[in-house]
Amino acid sequence: MYSDLLHALPNVLGLENLLALTFGVIAGIVVGAMPGLSATMAISVLVPFTFGMEPLVALGLMAGIYNGAMYGGAIPAVLLRIPGTPAAVVTTFDGYPMAQKGQGGYALQIAVVSSALGGIASAFALLLLAPPLAKVTLLFGPSEVFWVAVFGLCSIIFLLGGSVVKGLISACFGVFVSVIGSDPISGADRYTFNQLELLDGVSIVILLVGLYALPPVIDLLETPLKTENGASEKLGTEPIWRTLPTMLRFWKTWLRASIIGIWIGILPGAGGSMAAFMSYNEARRTSKTPETWGEGEPEGIAASETANNADTASALIPALTLGIPGTAVAAVMLGGLLIHGLQPGPMLFRENPDVVFGFMWQFLFGAVLLIFLGGSLATNSFAKLLKLPRPLLGSIIIVLMLIGVYSINNRMFDVYLMLGFGAVGYLMDKLKFPLPPVVLGLILGGFAEENLRLALRIGRGDWLILFQNITSQILVALTVAVIVGPMLKRRFIDTRKTAVEG
Amino acid sequence: MSEQKSNRFLRPETLTAVGLFLAAAAFLVPTAQLPQISALLPAAMLISLLVLAMILLIADQRKAAAENTSEPVLKAPPRVFGAFLLILLYALAVNFVGFYVSTAVSLPLVAFVFGYRNLAGLGIATIIVVAAIYLIFSLAMAKEFPSGILGIL
Repeated sequence: MYSDLLHALPNVLGLENLLALTFGVIAGIVVGAMPGLSATMAISVLVPFTFGMEPLVALGLMAGIYNGAMYGGAIPAVLLRIPGTPAAVVTTFDGYPMAQKGQGGYALQIAVVSSALGGIASAFALLLLAPPLAKVTLLFGPSEVFWVAVFGLCSIIFLLGGSVVKGLISACFGVFVSVIGSDPISGADRYTFNQLELLDGVSIVILLVGLYALPPVIDLLETPLKTENGASEKLGTEPIWRTLPTMLRFWKTWLRASIIGIWIGILPGAGGSMAAFMSYNEARRTSKTPETWGEGEPEGIAASETANNADTASALIPALTLGIPGTAVAAVMLGGLLIHGLQPGPMLFRENPDVVFGFMWQFLFGAVLLIFLGGSLATNSFAKLLKLPRPLLGSIIIVLMLIGVYSINNRMFDVYLMLGFGAVGYLMDKLKFPLPPVVLGLILGGFAEENLRLALRIGRGDWLILFQNITSQILVALTVAVIVGPMLKRRFIDTRKTAVEG
Repeated sequence: MSEQKSNRFLRPETLTAVGLFLAAAAFLVPTAQLPQISALLPAAMLISLLVLAMILLIADQRKAAAENTSEPVLKAPPRVFGAFLLILLYALAVNFVGFYVSTAVSLPLVAFVFGYRNLAGLGIATIIVVAAIYLIFSLAMAKEFPSGILGIL
């Protein structure tokens, strides 16, 4: 397996791939720097434009955006106390006080170096852990694959936090959308209502753009933030090579935060925000001067930014090997893989080793590029992005969304469908229904159905075939643990709270 | 976000639960006409949605009985509906009038309506965006956009 990893390297070093990666990192920083826009949204808008590209080039763009956006979120977090991405909330704690003291440039340099190191650690985790895990999953038959899909859905519903009922509704909606179209086995038309455009089913891209791109655009137009006067004109930035030696004292924090970020990334349902919070708390707990935290402690930025970038590539470990994304961005990336004919899951590593291993290398190179692009070249320039007028930005994104979705099949039907999903997505977002289970439901629904039917055919209609081997039983046990675990934890906390109050 | 007193049956989650229940029930009709094996998964999902919608409804009504207030879902409803309406009109205009004309009109219009009032900035941004789309998509990628029933552009 590791020989495939080395074999994929020359492809990644091609000019086209490196350009895509560089463009992706810059675009990611730009998107992350704008409050209200996220990596998830940017990748959703981008996915339809990658149809005509080589898969590796397209994936390089996505990897670059993901890496760049996680750092970009720190720019408004430091300068305006507005996190550009949800994962950058913790960066505001010490970043903004530093900017108030005229150390905004130094804070951003710590953020970019820490983000890059977190990203590099995460990419190494992906490179080292995914291949052996994939080898195990290659042994899975239809019933195991069915249970993997069920486990994936359950873990994102039950571990995401928030209302379980709403999570289940989101997942059921996603699975239901996945069955629209002509049944691949019986040929029966399901919910097409004589619309020829629906015979092939609903493209994941239409759903992604509708759910993840339209609601933020409406938000941009609903409440335009006034950021024109907030960003510091002078950041007090020194060349990064001069400030780098002063950061070496954060090595313990970088190491600890990387481990936390990688672990949180692998867990389905958790994400960058949780990684940043955990890492910040842990670093503060072990600090000799915890009283300075929250008042402009540079180590606080190092802790949060390392952790929120360390969950990027690691979130793809379960996504690529099992088809279970660790974060919303990973779910969108799965959609990106699908449109290039790459079905995430056990067979991906066998059928497309060059692409999948190349994708992993791109994460590593993307993280390294972050230092050069985000740090030495353009910290000041990116800070100016905060002055872009948001209504104008919103209307440009609307045009890009329409072009992207129309380009899939050259038909306006898809655009109307995207607007419909957008309206549903907006309502779901406002009513706090989680969106990742919808995407995962669409990705895993068809996959689960196909394997369930295959397993039943092998077992001649006997449902017990789903429980007959040890791997299936382990997966069932894990699924039950994922469902029951959070309930038990909640009950335990409630009991303790009652005991304390009593 | 300010809280408001409201009719307990007009709470957003209650309305959502009722809508969801009705939609799932309506989709069960075509499901009944599908072959058994094709109906298995969709029927399971629709029945689950019916049950979950009921649970959501009951939970929200219990919450309503306890607190009698609900948070408004939208911060500025006219802006939200306005944004959706303009986006829908833009999509229809692309279909009926043509892509380039609709884009050249809609892009500055949406930005202007939602608060960006710098006319020079709007003009420059529109020219740059439309020209970039033409150069990248129409010229370099030979992509064809809807010319509309009027056949303009």
